[in-house]
Amino acid sequence: MSKIYKKMGPHDVGGENSIPIDLNDPEMTHWEKYANALRIVVSSKRIITLDELRYHTEKLGDAYFKIGYFERNCLSLHNICLNKGIYDQELFNVVKLKKVAEFDVPKIDLPDPKKIEHLHDGVPHSHEQSDFQEDETGEGPPDYYFDTLAIADIMIKLGLITKEDITQKIDQFDNVFPNRGKTVIAKAWSDEDFRQHLIEDAKTAISNIGIKLETFADIICMPQSPETHHIVVCTLCSCYPRTLLGMPPSWYKSRSYRSRVVHEPRKVLAEFGTIVPENREIKVHDSNADMRYLILPPRPSNTDGWDEEQLSEIVERDYLVGVRLPD
Amino acid sequence: MKTKFKIDDIVIVDDRVSRSHCRTPSYIRGKVGIIERICGEFPNPEEIALCQDSPSIIPLYRCRFKQADVWENYEGSDKDTLELEIYEHWLKKI
Repeated sequence: MSKIYKKMGPHDVGGENSIPIDLNDPEMTHWEKYANALRIVVSSKRIITLDELRYHTEKLGDAYFKIGYFERNCLSLHNICLNKGIYDQELFNVVKLKKVAEFDVPKIDLPDPKKIEHLHDGVPHSHEQSDFQEDETGEGPPDYYFDTLAIADIMIKLGLITKEDITQKIDQFDNVFPNRGKTVIAKAWSDEDFRQHLIEDAKTAISNIGIKLETFADIICMPQSPETHHIVVCTLCSCYPRTLLGMPPSWYKSRSYRSRVVHEPRKVLAEFGTIVPENREIKVHDSNADMRYLILPPRPSNTDGWDEEQLSEIVERDYLVGVRLPD
Repeated sequence: MKTKFKIDDIVIVDDRVSRSHCRTPSYIRGKVGIIERICGEFPNPEEIALCQDSPSIIPLYRCRFKQADVWENYEGSDKDTLELEIYEHWLKKI
């Protein structure tokens, strides 16, 4: 490990030592989807640019470490709105209270657990323990969801965005974006001319098959080969070809993945179960600016005669980031 | 597009300290690599982040570095490389 110096801030993690990568990738909650959609709508309409959002996230200081990815997004979005005079704190507070009130459903009168008797294995039994508590308390939406709803509500009333912009973006992330990368790879596995075009000029090749990517960034496609193994990371934030692959998995956004891939790619790949031979070059792509990367995995050998639809079903996201190879 | 560098030029990433938002990771500053490709021209993120009106449009390059040149005691193969995108004003010719 080299010395690390002149870090720009808590986000500039490339080269740090870190813990093993947590490969769990829990399903996003509704509030996270909503927060993500709002951020993408706002930046694609250029109301607030991605770089402004990144800058304000980088400036959060200690809070950067204390709150999660979507909470950071929400807080920096709010700070920018205040700075730009899109709204003031007073208006925000009023709208937020309204949003909280919309969720304030009356509490159900739950019976006293100690008075409930029922049968356990045929034996009358009363609950005196806390095992009723989890039903009683339930889990309300997190406070940041109210913040996000308030920001969106104000922006909708100002005519900057519409409700439909957000619902459409949530739908695209759920149902459209994750399938595009699979379609593109299946086509590349089936059509040599398309494959060549994809490697030479990915955005045009993808556009030519009717997929219009809603992104300002350019796309670069790198084919895996016996000589070179490609793997993608964003050490500064979480740049990812979202319009081709959907949301990045949790591990892609994690500090451990972002800090380690650049300086110990073989160890990181091994944690994904991918062992790359010593004589094969590993090429790490730090997706740190205006390019997004799509890795083209080799077509599995047992797929002769398969059509594109069948092929697209065996394309996995991890192949397209370069952390795993098809068997 | 007017570019200062061409493909295969040997370049060094400037080792200066950045103010505010910047897309040149600290780990690559002061390292020597080559121009892998010219990506095109893009608005300077350092200016967009500060909401400057009409940000300058500048060339972006993909630069290739040998891992062994980036990290002391790199444990992988000598062949291993790292590529990232660097805006022109962060590069100097050697």
